[in-house]
Amino acid sequence: MDFSAVGAAAAEALTLASFIGIGGGVLLGYIVGVIPGLSRSVAISIAIPMTFYMSPFIAISFLIGLSKGTAAGSAVSAILLNAPGEASSAATALDGYPMAKKGKPKTALQIGLIASVLGDILATIILIFVAIPFARVALLFGPYEMAAILAFALVFIAGLSGGSIFKGLAAGGLGIFLGTIGLDNQTGLPRLTFGYTELMDGMPLIAVAIGTLALSEMFVQSEKLRYDRENMSVALKKDSSDRITWPIFRNILPTILRGTGVGTFVGALPGLGPSVGSFMSYGMAQKAAKDPETFGKGNPKGIAASESADNAVIPAALIPLFGLGIPGNVSAALLIGAFAIHGITVGPLLLRDNPELLYSIFAGMILASVIMLALGWFGLMFFAQITRVPPHVVIPIVIFFCLAGMMLQGYGTFGLIILMAFALLGYLMKKYDYSFVTFLVAFIITPMLELNLRQSIILSRGNVAILLDRPIALFFIACTALALITLIIRTFRTGKPAANAPAD
Amino acid sequence: MKKTLVAILGATILGAPMAMAADWPTRPLTMVIGFNPGGSTDIQGRVLANVMEEFLGQPVNVVNQPGGGSAVAFTRLKNTDADGYTFLFGGTTALTFTPIITPVEYEIDDFEYLASVALGQNAIVTSAEQPFSTFDEIIAHGKENPMTYAQQTPLDEAIIRAIAEEEGLDLAIVPTGGGGGMAPLVLGREVDFAYSGGTHAQYTPTGEMVVAAFMSSERSPFYPDVPTLIELGYDYSIEDYRTIIVPAGVPDDVKERLIAAAEFASTHQSFIDITEGNTFFPVVMIGQDEMEANVRRIRAATEEVMAD
Repeated sequence: MDFSAVGAAAAEALTLASFIGIGGGVLLGYIVGVIPGLSRSVAISIAIPMTFYMSPFIAISFLIGLSKGTAAGSAVSAILLNAPGEASSAATALDGYPMAKKGKPKTALQIGLIASVLGDILATIILIFVAIPFARVALLFGPYEMAAILAFALVFIAGLSGGSIFKGLAAGGLGIFLGTIGLDNQTGLPRLTFGYTELMDGMPLIAVAIGTLALSEMFVQSEKLRYDRENMSVALKKDSSDRITWPIFRNILPTILRGTGVGTFVGALPGLGPSVGSFMSYGMAQKAAKDPETFGKGNPKGIAASESADNAVIPAALIPLFGLGIPGNVSAALLIGAFAIHGITVGPLLLRDNPELLYSIFAGMILASVIMLALGWFGLMFFAQITRVPPHVVIPIVIFFCLAGMMLQGYGTFGLIILMAFALLGYLMKKYDYSFVTFLVAFIITPMLELNLRQSIILSRGNVAILLDRPIALFFIACTALALITLIIRTFRTGKPAANAPAD
Repeated sequence: MKKTLVAILGATILGAPMAMAADWPTRPLTMVIGFNPGGSTDIQGRVLANVMEEFLGQPVNVVNQPGGGSAVAFTRLKNTDADGYTFLFGGTTALTFTPIITPVEYEIDDFEYLASVALGQNAIVTSAEQPFSTFDEIIAHGKENPMTYAQQTPLDEAIIRAIAEEEGLDLAIVPTGGGGGMAPLVLGREVDFAYSGGTHAQYTPTGEMVVAAFMSSERSPFYPDVPTLIELGYDYSIEDYRTIIVPAGVPDDVKERLIAAAEFASTHQSFIDITEGNTFFPVVMIGQDEMEANVRRIRAATEEVMAD
């Protein structure tokens, strides 16, 4: 299990098929990122069914490439439209849009791209160096530890997703409830299936994910169709002085490195999404600057800080995922589903049992970064045009992919009805400000949490004292309790939760 | 157009057998797999599909219909046309076991069991780092100490529970949710021993996992020294035949063609290599008469075990 194996896997991973798969993922992600309103988790949920016919390596690399592409692409609309393609690029718009208005749109885009790519590559390297040694200690994480960490992740994500704690509890509770549907994992007896054979393996993940994330979002978007973009957008012109130069790069490099650090740290913690990372990084860059008053008026460092952190979060979120099988956010949770579809259990033994697969994925991730740089650099004009595609063209296309993706699952009409039901649920949750992130993560985590909790209770024979021998589990139980208490106190003191950032 | 009409008339007048004969199939076939891609059934099924394609001269497309341990796939198969163009490849647990504990919409008689080409590998495994490695040692250890066992199906749980009662063991049984969940529990020594449906093929070559006993009715050729539960004096077994299954009512000569394709596959080198080399499942060729009897015999035996 040495690091040179990653290099060997890289050589093997670089086939034409993987190149096309990963490149396609990045391109698709880039386009989705550019279009405001289409978010990363929407793209992943729609793309998972497309991966059925790919090998596990290409499928996962495709989806990760897609994630990375959205993070880089979202900067384009943030800079040219002042409408970030992702919530996490909102910080990019703060300086990117003013800079574009000042006649430097191309420079702003190039700064965003370079910050994205560097943040991405560096965080991927950190992931490789952290995840590989992690595999050696992974067996220390038994059912007690897993149950404790999962409970912690659930509470943490719920706490950060905004809205009132009661609405959060309602959303999470509904997710947990739906997560218990299906055959009982020990007795094999059906729970809440109402005689539907289709529900024996639980509510189909794709229906829940595409419904609450993608399809409902299209309903919300179609309500805002009269959005006036023409007046706001900045057009790219031929201007040889409008490009990134070496002094500019040297100036922003420290900001990029700091942004990568912030993004990696935030990404590795469950529950904190890219939005937290980019705004935290932006704030730190502003604090560290000698000229903080220029931030928000077109300071290149603002773009670099936001974009590098935004992209660094994505590989870093895979540290808990590859190490323990615990998703840090919705996108990572969807990746677990994708692994399962390809017959791979994400967990402590993943790296040990499938090292070649994981090494190839690492190599694929680096490849994705390089492709992203090339695509972003040479496709600047093309992507700038995409910001002008009107929503009445985008929405029907996305709806088509939602329905087609569900049909590919093989559930037939039953699947479409369930999909529609979840689209309606997602729409109402968004309208009434219930966190669908909490709902979805609770839904995905519940089967794992139930299994590990059940194992812990049976193996300990009901003896709580066993936790004294399991310091890691005890630590996370304490953290969970602390997070819960903090949340409750804050809700009652101010009527509002601690933070208000989506976990994706 | 005219030709089609003549063909249809011909088929109607002369009856299906004549029209089908040796030129069947005339269009692509569908092989249904009741599990997700990547598992042992899927790996074997995809190779089998390639080999059958070679024999039948028409593409055999693999479709995964996971859910309820193949219950979803069997429910659908029951409702497809009995023309032989759609068939299922997989184990028979969804017929011999699932209906006993869960209401399902199909029964054994809804299908025909044409041929079995591979035998399952149900085993009891433990970690190489445990102080015991044979089944007798596990039992001896359990008489002195409380023990833990990781199950994967209610059937293996029922068998182990019965043995534990006979031997007077203090045994706690945990669910694992499948072979992927079992391995970390055994290797991390969170549990003392566990059921394995085939996952051990991945861990015994590295010396980390030990097979203590087989739950199948015969020893595995890949672990010739490991006894079965029956040999150890416990009258229980779990048999798993990977079988080609069609809805009841498929014309006889179509069935013959499918059985011939299965026979061809059972002697085909690439099918043997993948099945025996990658999944440690012995390749066999068991015909329809024997399989029909097997399915019904296993069902009766399972009902008896589960009734306890």
